[in-house]
Amino acid sequence: MSAKKKINAKSIAKQKRNGRKLLAFIRVVRYGAESFMRNSWLSVAATIVMTITLLIISVSFAMQNILTDTINELHNKVEMSIYLKTETTDEIGLELSTELNQLSSVKSVTFINAAQAKTKFAKDNSDNFDALNALKEATNRNPATLRIVVKDIDDISQLQKFVSDDELLKKHINPNFEPSFAGIRRDTIKTIGRAVNFAQNAGIIAGTIFVIISSLIIFNTIRMAIYNRKEEIQMMKLIGADRLFIRGPFLIEAMIYGFVAAFMATGLGLWILYSLAKTLLSYQFIAQPTINLATNYPVFVLMGMIAVGFLIGIVSSLLATRRYLKM
Amino acid sequence: MILLDRVTKTYSKDSSSALNRVSLFIEPREFVILVGTSGAGKSTLFKLLTREEKPTSGKIVVGGIDYDNLKDNNIPMLRRKIGVVFQDFKLLPQRTVFENVAFALEIAGMTNREIKSTVPKVIELVGLRGKEKKFPHQLSGGERQRVAIARAVVRQPKILIADEPTGNLDPRHSWDIIRLLEKINKYGTTVLLTTHNADIVNKLKRRVITLEHGKISGDQAQGSYRQ
Repeated sequence: MSAKKKINAKSIAKQKRNGRKLLAFIRVVRYGAESFMRNSWLSVAATIVMTITLLIISVSFAMQNILTDTINELHNKVEMSIYLKTETTDEIGLELSTELNQLSSVKSVTFINAAQAKTKFAKDNSDNFDALNALKEATNRNPATLRIVVKDIDDISQLQKFVSDDELLKKHINPNFEPSFAGIRRDTIKTIGRAVNFAQNAGIIAGTIFVIISSLIIFNTIRMAIYNRKEEIQMMKLIGADRLFIRGPFLIEAMIYGFVAAFMATGLGLWILYSLAKTLLSYQFIAQPTINLATNYPVFVLMGMIAVGFLIGIVSSLLATRRYLKM
Repeated sequence: MILLDRVTKTYSKDSSSALNRVSLFIEPREFVILVGTSGAGKSTLFKLLTREEKPTSGKIVVGGIDYDNLKDNNIPMLRRKIGVVFQDFKLLPQRTVFENVAFALEIAGMTNREIKSTVPKVIELVGLRGKEKKFPHQLSGGERQRVAIARAVVRQPKILIADEPTGNLDPRHSWDIIRLLEKINKYGTTVLLTTHNADIVNKLKRRVITLEHGKISGDQAQGSYRQ
C-alpha cells in the first residue's frame, strides 16, 4: 500500500516538474515576443540587418548555383575533335566511340560520318552561295569526326595517349587534320579551363567572405541590443532569475528576427532573381535552373531561409549573452 | 538570520580591502540601518549577501544557508529568498507595474492563478492600486520605488535589503518609503537599510551599524547618525 503511495507521489512530483518546465518555457517565449514588440525600433533595425544578411547569403548561393550551371554548360560546349578519313564507316566510328567512352576522362563521344558532316556544313553555310556551289560540284572530302566532351578540360593526357597508341584509330585517323586538342587549340582549351576554375573559386571565396561579414554584422547588432539591456539582465539575476529566464527571451527575440527576416529576404531574393534573369541570360549565364528551383520549391526555400535565420540568431545571442550568465 | 564571521573582501591585490574582517550578527525580524560614507563598504557588504561577489576570506551564513557550500546553480534560489531594493529602482522599463511585480513570481515558477491573486494584494500594500497598467516612465520616483519594494516583497522573503532606497526621493516620498519598510518589517521580514539621510536614522531609533574604511566602527541598539 505504502509502496503504491510512494509511486503515486513520485509520478505527481514528476508531473508537477514537467508542468513547471512547460510553464517556464511558455513564459520565456512570451517574454521574447513581448520584448520584440515593445522594443520596436531595435527590433526593426535588427530585423533589417538580419534580412540583409539572409539576402546576401541567398544571393551568394544563387549566384554560385548560376555560375556552376554556366560552367557545366561551358564544359559541355568545349568539344575536342578527332578527324577520321572520309570513308570511315559508321561501324568503325561506333567501335572507336565505344573505346573512347571507356576512358575515365571522357564524358561523352559523338560520331559524325562524312555525309552528316557535309549536311552540317551546308546548313552552317546556307547563306554562303559560293561555299554551297563548291559543295555541289566537289566530291565529299569532309572528314568523319569523333566529337569528345572530357570531364576535365585541363586533363587530356589520357586522350592524347589514346590517339598515339590505339591501333584502330591509327588506321582510320585523317592525316590532313590534326586532333583539335593539339597545338594552338590545346592552349585555347587550357586557357578556358583555367578561367573556368578561377571563376568558380572566386565565386566560392567571394560568397564565403560575404557570408562571414554579414554574419559578423548581425552578431554585433544582436550583441549591441543585448549590451543595451545589460542592467536589465543584472536586475533579473538579482531577483533570482536563472539562466533559462535570462538567456531564453533573447534567444526567442533573435529567432523572431530570423523568422521575419526570412520572409522578407525570400521575397526580395526572388524579386532580384527575376529582375536579373533577362540580363543574366543575355550574358549567356544559365540562370533558368536556379529560377526553376526557387519557383518550384518556394516553401523549401523559405524553410531553408528560416532555418538559417534561426541558426544565426541563436548562435549570435548565445555568444552575446554568455558573458552575462556568470551568477 | 544573517551571520558574517571575519569577512574580508579585496577586489585586487594592489588595492586595500573593501571590507576588513567584518563580523556581525542580525537577528530575524530585526530592522538594521547601515551607515557610512561612500566607499565605507556598504555596497560591498550587500553584494556579498546577494552573492554578486565572493568574500576573499571569512564565512557568511544567511537564513541557514552557508555560502561556502553554495553552488552556482543554487544562487538563483538563494536570491529568491532575499528581496532587494535599489536607489535607482532597477525596474524593467518595458513592463507595466503589474508585470514588474509578477515577474518575480513568474521566474519562481508560480502559476498564473497564484500570480493573479498575489500581485494585486502587494500592489495594494504599497499603495499603488489603480496604477497596475502604468509603465515605469509614467510614474513618479516615489511610485517607482514602491513598485521596486512590491517586487522585492511579493515572494515574502525573510530578508529585505534596501540600498539607499530614498537616495533619489524628496523628503515626503522618502518617509513614505521608510514607513512602508517599517510595515514590511512588522509583518516579519528582516530589513537591512542603508541611507545617508541623518534625519531618517535619528528618528527611526533602530539598530545602527556604522562602517568606516571597511570596518565596523559602531553598532548601537537605538543608534543615531554620526558624521
